[in-house]
Amino acid sequence: MKTYYDIVGDGGSRVLDQVIEQRARITDGLAGVRQLVAVGSGKGGVGKSTLTLQLANVLRCRGLRVAILDADFNGPSQARMAGVQGAVFVPGNRKVSLPRTGSGIGVFSMGSVIPESEALDFESAARGESHTWRATREFTLLTEILGSFEWGELDFLLFDLPPGAERTVQYADFLPPRTSFLLVTIPSEVARGVVARSVAALSTRSNRVLGYVENMSGYFCRDCNAIKPLFPATQSTELRIRCLGTVPFDPELALLCDRGIPLTEHPETPIGRALDDVAQQLLNSLESESPQ
Amino acid sequence: MKFLCVPCDTPMKLQTVGPPDRGSLSVVYSCPECGYEMAMLTNAYETQVVQSLGVRIGPENSVAASSPSGSGCPFTAMVPGIESGDARAGQPGEPVRWTAAAEARLANIPEFVRPMARTGIERFAKENGTVEIDEKVLDAAREFFGM
Repeated sequence: MKTYYDIVGDGGSRVLDQVIEQRARITDGLAGVRQLVAVGSGKGGVGKSTLTLQLANVLRCRGLRVAILDADFNGPSQARMAGVQGAVFVPGNRKVSLPRTGSGIGVFSMGSVIPESEALDFESAARGESHTWRATREFTLLTEILGSFEWGELDFLLFDLPPGAERTVQYADFLPPRTSFLLVTIPSEVARGVVARSVAALSTRSNRVLGYVENMSGYFCRDCNAIKPLFPATQSTELRIRCLGTVPFDPELALLCDRGIPLTEHPETPIGRALDDVAQQLLNSLESESPQ
Repeated sequence: MKFLCVPCDTPMKLQTVGPPDRGSLSVVYSCPECGYEMAMLTNAYETQVVQSLGVRIGPENSVAASSPSGSGCPFTAMVPGIESGDARAGQPGEPVRWTAAAEARLANIPEFVRPMARTGIERFAKENGTVEIDEKVLDAAREFFGM
């Protein structure tokens, strides 16, 4: 009697072929993008989304073509911060045009699709068993977004990743291998410990890890015009990747983000200069030949 | 999964996939040698896992369940005021018409943004004093929204 491996093809649905076709659509859709950079951490609440958007703004100010894909489908924040919450999706000839900020940064965020009063949900006959299929469904959604929107010719596509060290490495597995990773931490041992796990997980993959940014590295006091410490100065957890810079916390920035106003309108602040330095380090790191 | 007709030792061929019934599919196979037919009645949970890959289950010309419920937008239930697929904005006054070419462009985009795209474009058209959406209106919207 024949065995499974004696029979060519599958049961008739060509499931594997369909998955391969999906991946080909992604490759095709991203063919015009020079740099794919995933901004992750592993830890939540360290400012990945804020840093992603502000880096995009700085890169855009340097004349680069930039887009952001908010991959945090369950907690999307880019739509509000980038001011595209009410974006209109316009069908192009083959794909959907990407909503853009006033400065021309393309942004896809589920926050433009689903109101903040609603949670992302999928219709399913297996609703009570979502732990078995939900992550797969979300990556399929990401596949659809990557294959259906007009990413066009870009210098940078920044992926704003969701928290979770295991999620970070899932994105490394899913995204094209040329995707580089930029990790974000804050000066707390707890956060550095989680980021260290992401570094360890990513070290088992072929993706390039560009380095990390220490966010909330002190706060900018406007009364005394100085950076003051936010966390105790201990860094016993070694991250073993390059530090691309430190960015202080600025309460004013939080306000701007909530209102969808880019910080680039206030470049001459410590945080504006810090972000510009990080952007330069990012560019230097990407231009250097050897992986970290 | 593959199916073998044991008496003929021949791979069975996928024939039809019935419409989903509470997440379960009825998948009919037949033996090309002896014509014997059998049906695989899928478990809703396993079916959901496979469909989460975003794949069609069934022959290529089949319209059966690429989404678990057989309906369109997976987010339909959550976006207020939006019905599945051919949703209308429900705005007062003269209804907006879509030309076949504009509809075709709309059909090319993912289902989960289609209702929002329709609503947004219809609003744009009305604000610009037009009641027929053709490709020129879509291009104008694209220009207007800086895309």
